[in-house]
Amino acid sequence: MKKLTPQQLATLHSHLIGNGSNDALMGELLDHLACEVEIYLWKGYNFELALEKISEEANVKAIQYLRQNYQHELAMTETQLQEATLDDIVFEFRNKAYGAYDLRQSYQNTLRTALFMGIGLFLMLIALSGGLIAKQWSFSSPLMLLWFLGSSCVAYGAWNWYLKNMQEKVQMG
Amino acid sequence: MESSSNEFLRGTLKTIVLKLLHERGRMYGYEITQDVKERTNGEITLTFGALYPVLHKLEQEGLLVTQSEEADGRLRKYYSLTPIGTETAYQKASEFERFVEAMRILLAPVPSQGLSMA
Repeated sequence: MKKLTPQQLATLHSHLIGNGSNDALMGELLDHLACEVEIYLWKGYNFELALEKISEEANVKAIQYLRQNYQHELAMTETQLQEATLDDIVFEFRNKAYGAYDLRQSYQNTLRTALFMGIGLFLMLIALSGGLIAKQWSFSSPLMLLWFLGSSCVAYGAWNWYLKNMQEKVQMG
Repeated sequence: MESSSNEFLRGTLKTIVLKLLHERGRMYGYEITQDVKERTNGEITLTFGALYPVLHKLEQEGLLVTQSEEADGRLRKYYSLTPIGTETAYQKASEFERFVEAMRILLAPVPSQGLSMA
C-alpha cells in the first residue's frame, strides 16, 4: 500500500488544525485520516483528490461534533469539580503539556521568590550605598540592620527557589 | 436509516468496543471502525466523532490502556483491555444479549391479538 510522505502528512495536519481539532485527539485523528487517505490512494485517487474526499468527511461540522461529544463524555464529575482548582477547569480540554499550565501552577511560588529577592536586594543596596557614603562600617548602626534584613530576605528567596527546583527534579525522576 | 442507527449506536458503542478488543487483543481507532464495517457489511459505520470520545472515556475509567507506536511517520495509539476491562466486556456482552432477547419478544408479532379478534 502507498505510504504518505511527510509533506502530505503535514498537509493533513494543517487541515485538522484549520478545522479546530482538539489537542488531546490530534495525534489519533491524524493517523485515522491518514489511513483513510491511504485507502483512497490505493483505490487509484491522487493525493489532492483524496484530500478533497477526506475534507468532505472531516469538515468543520464533523470535528465540532467530535469536540462536543468528547467534552460531554469526558467532563469532570461533580466531586472532581469540587476538588478542581481554577487552573484545572480552565485547562480541562486544553494542552497541559505545552507549558502554560505549569507556569500558572507555579505562579504563586515564583511571585514569592521574586518578591523576597527584590526587597532583599533593594535593602542591601541601600545599606551598601549608605555605608559607602559614611565610609565606615559599624555593627551597631541602623545600616547594618538593613544589611542583615536584606540579606536574610535574599537568602529566604534563594532557598525557596532551590526547594522548588528540587521538587521539580524529584517529580521528573 | 443513518440517524436511527446512530440512535441505537449511542448506547451500545462501549459494548462493541470492549467486545472487539477482547477478541483481537490490541487495536487502533481506524482498525476498529474498519472491523465493525466489515463484519456488519456496512450496516454499522462508526464515525471518528463517536468512536474516539468513547475510547478516551473507557481509558479514563481504567478499562483500557494505550500504547503509542510510530507507524509510517505518525503516532499510532493502540488500545487494549485491562483486567477490569475484560470483566466489563463479559458483563456488558451478556447484559446486551439479554436486552436483545427482550427486544425480540417485544417486537415479535402477537398471535393472541389475532385470536381475540376472531
